[in-house]
Amino acid sequence: MTQTTLGETVPAAKLPPGTREHLTSPVTQAALRIQNAVTTAAREHLGMNGFIELTPPVIGPVTDPGVRGAKQLDVDYYGHRYKLMTSVILYKQASLLAFEKIFYVAPNVRMEPLETATTGRHLVEFTQIDVEVRDARREDILGLLQGLIRHIVVHVLQESKADLAALGRDPDAFGPLLSEDFERMTHAEAVGRLRDLLHGQSSDAEIDWQGEKLISEQTDRPFFIVDYPKGSRGFTDGESAAQPGILRNFDLIAPGGFGELCSGGERTHEYRRLIERMRESGENPAKYAWYLALAKEGLPASAGFGLGLERLTRYLAGLDAIWQANAYPKLPGIASP
Amino acid sequence: MTAVRAPRLPEGAIRARAREGVAAIFPAVGEYGQALFGAAPIIGPVPDELDRARIVPPVFVPGRLERMFELGREPLYGDVDLTCRIGGFTAPLPIFLCAFGSTQAAAGSGLGLAAAEQAGRLGIPMVIGENVVPMHGYGRSDEAPADGMLERIRAYAAAAPDGLGGVVVQQSTEDADAEVWNLVYSDPVATELIEEGRLAFELKVGQGAKPGLGGMTVLSRERAAAVCDRYSVDEAFGRGSVRVLRSGSPGTFTEEILRRQIHLMRNNYPRARTWVKLHPGRDVGQAAELAWSAGADAVTVDGAEGGTGWAPSVFLDQVGLPLAECLRRIGAHDAALLASGRIWEGGRALKCLALGATAAGLGRAALLAVDEDGAEGLVRLVRCLELELRLLLSALGRYRVGEVGPDDLWLPDGSASPAFEEAWR
Repeated sequence: MTQTTLGETVPAAKLPPGTREHLTSPVTQAALRIQNAVTTAAREHLGMNGFIELTPPVIGPVTDPGVRGAKQLDVDYYGHRYKLMTSVILYKQASLLAFEKIFYVAPNVRMEPLETATTGRHLVEFTQIDVEVRDARREDILGLLQGLIRHIVVHVLQESKADLAALGRDPDAFGPLLSEDFERMTHAEAVGRLRDLLHGQSSDAEIDWQGEKLISEQTDRPFFIVDYPKGSRGFTDGESAAQPGILRNFDLIAPGGFGELCSGGERTHEYRRLIERMRESGENPAKYAWYLALAKEGLPASAGFGLGLERLTRYLAGLDAIWQANAYPKLPGIASP
Repeated sequence: MTAVRAPRLPEGAIRARAREGVAAIFPAVGEYGQALFGAAPIIGPVPDELDRARIVPPVFVPGRLERMFELGREPLYGDVDLTCRIGGFTAPLPIFLCAFGSTQAAAGSGLGLAAAEQAGRLGIPMVIGENVVPMHGYGRSDEAPADGMLERIRAYAAAAPDGLGGVVVQQSTEDADAEVWNLVYSDPVATELIEEGRLAFELKVGQGAKPGLGGMTVLSRERAAAVCDRYSVDEAFGRGSVRVLRSGSPGTFTEEILRRQIHLMRNNYPRARTWVKLHPGRDVGQAAELAWSAGADAVTVDGAEGGTGWAPSVFLDQVGLPLAECLRRIGAHDAALLASGRIWEGGRALKCLALGATAAGLGRAALLAVDEDGAEGLVRLVRCLELELRLLLSALGRYRVGEVGPDDLWLPDGSASPAFEEAWR
């Protein structure tokens, strides 16, 4: 593993070991078995609820516009500049032309800023369980997600007892998750709580990484932060008609300092709104030609989410760092297989 | 020296400063004791309001008395403290290097790189212009243009004194496609600058040379073919010409679009400063106010006199507000306002400061200076400006940059000065 940039700033213990040592580690093996239980349970739950699993596109002329400074990776596609998917959001919306409820288990590649190498929560290459439902409202999706998480947890507690025990993860930690509804707070309320904790959180921006960890440490079960301000997210997050400037979106935050597991919400789907929102994120709409052409003729209203597979695994298994939940982890700035 | 020309600037005087340093701010020393000097009639292009304004030191100077209390002796021009904050950076004087975009005069000739090194040495903030990445590349190993974005950042960072200056990377609508900010923000070369708080991103809303238009350059047909998927290419010079006109979009802004773009910059790049560059539009005051309220660390306004870029004559001659009027429309404020437009010496720079600017930017003059002397030209030009600022401020009885104000100027037509005062009330 070649360490290109971060050797002086990242303690060695926070970095993945070599490939052989990582793959033969009992911790890695237990984490990957738990992850396998997660995907099995997710497919089972979504399948039972009428979702069609599609295979995810990997490259396209455009992808989800990067947020929080993540760079996209270019691919030379017969002389055209294509992108590796940073998320399949545009394709999720388009796929609803075919089916009412869809999901992907989709790989994503984001060149995250170097500062995220030490958060314990960022991988350059990661997988999302990406779900989208035609004509759904955010509240429908919050209910669906809570049900999905509970189903996964029940399945993992049954199927992965030995692995959880080997990793020292106490099954009772999930008691509140299974017995009580996930709390919902607005972004403004989350900002207020963080300021009460003497954390200087901006009211216009995403909850920053330290803030997310801090607020996540204050609770015993996952909770939703809803209503992010416009300007903190990309153009696909739908804006409230009743409250301009507020997005009909959410994050799901895990307790115990594990932080964000999932982002989602209602989507922007009307042609004119998409153009305006693209400009608000500094984009030239021209590059989204295929997607805008669909929107001009009509894209269905929808809501959905992308649930980070490695992040969920890390939370369920109680791992120190997200790279422990990936067989070939790629941390920002570090060249590795 | 290359073929860089600036016919709308006093090119000879700028080149003399780049060559000779501070000696060039005085009449030829050999003439001392023989020739009699006085004010010269203004020559060259029609003077604008800033040119016509005069700097008017008072007889009574309570500020000098205050400085004398501090020093315990009579203050001199060397006692003027020029250090200041410019859009979140610390600078040794209120001067910054304006963006040179992808214009051929700056990129591809090595001048952009020479300017970066000298600006770094001076510790003044440097803006890297739009379209550099899509046109000239970023500078990672497989492309490695000598004058790409990365080389300019490297040259600046290597030369800059600790704690001084900073690099500002511009992005226009076309650059957004090339993800210029994302590239820089995740590049190891920028890590140190980010950690030291010496990186900013500048949202380019417009420019002085062609308000309301996007970037414009003249390209060979071969170069144009390589970028025609991202830019409009026009047969402006006839089908027989080997050259074509490449135009970028100006980008569409409404109040909401500008506000949200600034929010998104702050959200996505929390460790970089946020700058916004405006063209001299008639609503420049409203736009500056909006940018600051959305959280911009600095607003740069480029007067219609400004711009290194190539532009249609009708835009150069007849479009956009003059810099003085921009400053008047922005009026009193307590945020960072950076002004540029035909600035090359201390007088015009000081007039901008007096009318509310935090710092003044060198554009074409800096290019001429590095063209005159690639090793020292810009350093000498700035040293001249520095000495002039010290002399002027001390004459006004001001010993810190922020103390200068509209009272320090007199405008001959009589209408302008009260209007400025009105704006400042």
